[in-house]
Amino acid sequence: MHYSFNIERGNFTDAGQASSSVKRTLKQLGVDPVNIKRTVVALFEAEINAVAHAYGGRIDVDIDGEKIVMVVADEGPGIPNLDLAMQEGWSTASAKVREMGYGAGMGLPNIKKNTDDLKIDTQVGVGTTVTMTVYLT
Amino acid sequence: MPSEETYFKHSLRVNDYLCQGCTTCMRTCPTRAIRIRGGKAIISDNKCVDCGECIKVCPHKAIYIKQDDFGLLFNYKYRVCLVPTTFIGQFEEKYKTRAIYSCIKKLGFTHIYEVEHEVSRMVDLYNLYMDEHPELTTFISPYCPAVTRLIQVRFPSLVDNVIHVRAPLELASRVITKRLMDEGASRPSIGVFYVTPCAAKIAAVKYPVSGKETYVSGVINMDFLYNKVLLMLHDSDKLTQPINHTLSSRDVLWPLSGGEAPHFRGAHYAVDGLRNVLEFLEKLEDEAVDAPGLVEMRICDQGCVGGVLTTNNRFVARKRLEYRARLFERLEHSKIRETGSDDCSLTDEMVDVMTIPEIKPRSIYKLNDDFAEAFKMAERMKKIEKALPGVNCSACGAPSCAALAEDIVRGDAGIDTCIFINRHSQASEDAIRSIWGDRVKTKEINKDNNGYDSQGNH
Repeated sequence: MHYSFNIERGNFTDAGQASSSVKRTLKQLGVDPVNIKRTVVALFEAEINAVAHAYGGRIDVDIDGEKIVMVVADEGPGIPNLDLAMQEGWSTASAKVREMGYGAGMGLPNIKKNTDDLKIDTQVGVGTTVTMTVYLT
Repeated sequence: MPSEETYFKHSLRVNDYLCQGCTTCMRTCPTRAIRIRGGKAIISDNKCVDCGECIKVCPHKAIYIKQDDFGLLFNYKYRVCLVPTTFIGQFEEKYKTRAIYSCIKKLGFTHIYEVEHEVSRMVDLYNLYMDEHPELTTFISPYCPAVTRLIQVRFPSLVDNVIHVRAPLELASRVITKRLMDEGASRPSIGVFYVTPCAAKIAAVKYPVSGKETYVSGVINMDFLYNKVLLMLHDSDKLTQPINHTLSSRDVLWPLSGGEAPHFRGAHYAVDGLRNVLEFLEKLEDEAVDAPGLVEMRICDQGCVGGVLTTNNRFVARKRLEYRARLFERLEHSKIRETGSDDCSLTDEMVDVMTIPEIKPRSIYKLNDDFAEAFKMAERMKKIEKALPGVNCSACGAPSCAALAEDIVRGDAGIDTCIFINRHSQASEDAIRSIWGDRVKTKEINKDNNGYDSQGNH
């Protein structure tokens, strides 16, 4: 099953639609609540990253009999130092984004923690594509 | 519908004579438990959480709560009225509590016991569960039985966050029964009748999540008792019942939203009203809110004073209870009233009686126990949903197009029931198109049912 969603820059209030929709399907499949939570948390974090840092993007979700693959692709500044970005507490979020309660530097570490497989392709000045996999059974 | 195991039973009933099949209740139900069949609303036992929203919105008063026969009372020698302070909140401040209680006794009760006497023990029970589960950060109060059921069916990942303790009325009925037995009464001679503000509390007594024995013999609807008492209050002026008041001013407010807060240290959230509860649980489940501490939730707006069986406006009832609480506070200060004279210690046996061993997840979303089969069904459901118009007209007898798609894959409905897809004449085609415009799918869908036969199969 395939789902796709658009990401709008700076629109924090509407973020989360993708994860809600995916959550509904996973509940229908009777997926273990722990895996549902991991999936939803990872997808939401990735979406928030794109909303906060990029100029827009797209989410593609594919669910098959054994796994869920989520691709969050944005056009944005890219991540200059991926090692630093993977560290807890490291953030390049603007003061404005922090004021809104985001940008604590937990995004990527949290995604890593909640997925079985994580791939990040990033190019400074072009954008970032985050591919996350969670095994369902 | 295919037969399945029934986990839940309810006291909600539809009066077929009054029901017009107008779909209002069906569209309001938070668990999509209602369908129209044969022109009447029917409620699915496993999906209903007894929140009472359907009763509140029904324009024909066709949904009601079945109560026990009042005559049952007289099967017992000792007849206890177990009353929550919500009941007192229904009356104007000018009526003294003891006058109200006198009326209750005149109706045939021999004893009155206020549920809120158990507040301090309930607080101890909550704290026990919280201490035993240091791995959890958010705890959900078990106070409102409709919230617990809602979590079971819609938010199964949160079942462990619900404090595994039964309702205060269970403890109250046990305490008063034991007290009477200590005074020499035999267990079968004691009848404890709870005055309920809502359907959820009845279900919690009659069909408990805990599966444990109850000391409550029957349930009386609050509006029924209110009408009887109010008449008597008007009739007589010499109704005085000496009562040994031990409720503290804080205890009085326990049934209100926010009423549990003053009894606990640490962070606290009070969420009331169906929409708010749903939103909060959704966020909690997604970890989109960080809510360490105690989350107190009431399905009804303002808490139990918003219950469907209350008679007075919830905001007025709240104000009345707050007035009484302030009055008690003044009396406490001037030492006219004494509180806490009751023994409020919590025994091991009480802990045992009040603990719920397990709150089982009962997801209403899961399409099949078998993952592969559920996957096929979910795929089909997604396709069917796309073929449906998405206007949620409910003419098919389901609350929304998504619900119809689900009914179809579960084998409970056919795609033919959609009047958009199943339109035969040019006149009906034109009429529907004039209302819904582009949302009307082309006639081709009608011809081949968009690749599905009447059962929604490919």
